[in-house]
Amino acid sequence: MRAKSGLGRPSLAALLVLLSVTETHAATATGNRLNITAILMFFVFIAITLFITWWAASRTRTRSDFYAAGKSIGGLQNGLAIAGDFMSAATFLGVTALVYSTGMDGMLFIIGGTLGWAVILLLVAERLRNLGQYTFSDVVAFRLEDKPVRTMSAIGSLAVAIPYLLAQMVGAGALIQILFGLPYASAVVLVGVLMTLYVMFGGMLATTWIQTIKAVLLLTGGTIIAVGVMLLMKFDFGSLVSAAVETHSKGPAIMAPGVMFTDLVTIISIALAFVFGTAGLPHVLMRFFTVPNARQARRSVAYAIGFIGYFQSLIFIIGLGAVVYVSQNPEFLAPGGGLIGGSNMSAVHLSKVIGGDLFLGFISAVAFATILAVVSGLTLSAAAAVSHDLYANVICHGNSDRDTELRISRITTLVIGVTTMALAILLEGENVAVLALIALAIAASVNFPVLFLSMYWSKFTTRGALAGGYAGLATALVLVLLGPTVWVTLLGFDKPVFPYRYPTLFAMLANLVFAYWFSVSDKTHRASTERESFNAQWIRSELGPVEEKI
Amino acid sequence: MKMLSQIDKQILNDKDFHKLVRVRHWVSWSFLLVLLGLYLVFGLMSVYTPALLARPVFAGGVVPVGIAMGYLILGMTFLLTAVYVWIANGFFEPLVQKIIAGVER
Repeated sequence: MRAKSGLGRPSLAALLVLLSVTETHAATATGNRLNITAILMFFVFIAITLFITWWAASRTRTRSDFYAAGKSIGGLQNGLAIAGDFMSAATFLGVTALVYSTGMDGMLFIIGGTLGWAVILLLVAERLRNLGQYTFSDVVAFRLEDKPVRTMSAIGSLAVAIPYLLAQMVGAGALIQILFGLPYASAVVLVGVLMTLYVMFGGMLATTWIQTIKAVLLLTGGTIIAVGVMLLMKFDFGSLVSAAVETHSKGPAIMAPGVMFTDLVTIISIALAFVFGTAGLPHVLMRFFTVPNARQARRSVAYAIGFIGYFQSLIFIIGLGAVVYVSQNPEFLAPGGGLIGGSNMSAVHLSKVIGGDLFLGFISAVAFATILAVVSGLTLSAAAAVSHDLYANVICHGNSDRDTELRISRITTLVIGVTTMALAILLEGENVAVLALIALAIAASVNFPVLFLSMYWSKFTTRGALAGGYAGLATALVLVLLGPTVWVTLLGFDKPVFPYRYPTLFAMLANLVFAYWFSVSDKTHRASTERESFNAQWIRSELGPVEEKI
Repeated sequence: MKMLSQIDKQILNDKDFHKLVRVRHWVSWSFLLVLLGLYLVFGLMSVYTPALLARPVFAGGVVPVGIAMGYLILGMTFLLTAVYVWIANGFFEPLVQKIIAGVER
């Protein structure tokens, strides 16, 4: 495994691991041995999701339907859908692989991945729902000048959603190749076509239901694996730990962190990306607009924390279980050493130990479903950034025609679907880790600070938002370019100009410093009006739309 | 630009509104600082005292400090989430209703 050093937000960072692993091990994969159960279960899933899309299409007429499922989703279901967005294939397979290969290093992911949601609960969720309509840009543009800040936050959304989507597609293609023996290009096209159909016709309603079903399947699958492991261990966590230490090639060293945690700057960047990056992901933020009010938004994230924390605590058990029951099992070892399909397959192999071929098929189908559900959410958030933020508000000044706007979001979905499919096919076998890295850095250093300051800092002005947002964006991009991933791995120079893999600390700081300086020094008339309207925004962020409630 | 309306002025003069803001800020930030503080301790220990994280919690036991801390932080997150929702439902929501009910058109 090459991508072990320095990792960030679970799903994104785990994706990095996933990508490099699949890349390395695709050649040693199981070949084209088809798993019939997996394929049958997968077809059942596709049939159900297409039915949901057809059903949702008949209920998707207005903008609110398309972007926000008519604001009709309840707290529990939205909590499941949010948890589903977080529990991507990369989290499930990648973080398990991380625990499997490095032991304690996986714990930073498990904790950080959960804490990011506490930030959303305590600082973001209710205010976001109280102030916004469909995208987080609505909140940033609440009192700041609409066009420029919306353009900036739409760029921020696209700069997270598109690279993340592309990285997911490339990872998905390789993963499906291993799981189902399907050729890479067909796997990518299958994922691309389905996600385009879901979003184009079913909008947020279909996307939410698909994500909900998948979350239930994944939680069920994870629970069965973890309970199976504990059953084999006679429900003694201590014997699981000692068995893992005895079995693992690194021995007791797996209980000490040591691979990722090499220096303080890296660890701070990782922690910041975890904790604040989650609250900067456009597809996650968009989910808070699907519920009717702030109370349901709070319920959603509270449920989501429950599901995510539960799932994360399973992951550690699954990872250790894989060490004990998979790592030394000749059935799963590739001729050249290591696991068949790479260490990412540790959870999948473990499912075979627990429940035989039938359960292996179930877990493979769930992994595929997971990919589909996550890419659909990303596609929808990118489409909304174009049609709601850029077209309706920047180009049409908020007076867009409903049908035209919906047509534009559908066309955007189609364009995004076709483009990412084509690019993903071209990028087969390439190291696309950089894409996930960019997405991660931008979520934490562009979107989150701008959203946060606009909600909490009364002196924040349009000038400050633009300076901060673009400074964060530029810093993140330049540091990724000069860092080890691009400068050394992709461009082949000897030494990176910027020594750290993760730019989050510096890019976030750049955003905050620029935002502060350009806000406090802003003496324009516009700035003073914006500061004065903070009180009106403040009231609505605490109480919701007061005029409607009186 | 959104200027202060008659409704806004009434709310800004409402003592309950300031109470809501004060308590909510205190609760949110103190909960967040507890969680981030624990995470910071875990991170610093990972960099400076990794061996300590690998030591068993109890002498003679097998479960290391790192795993115990990890599950402790997860448990804390559950607990504080539950407490926050409890406070929000029992205190913030009624206060919001009261503030809105007190506003005259």
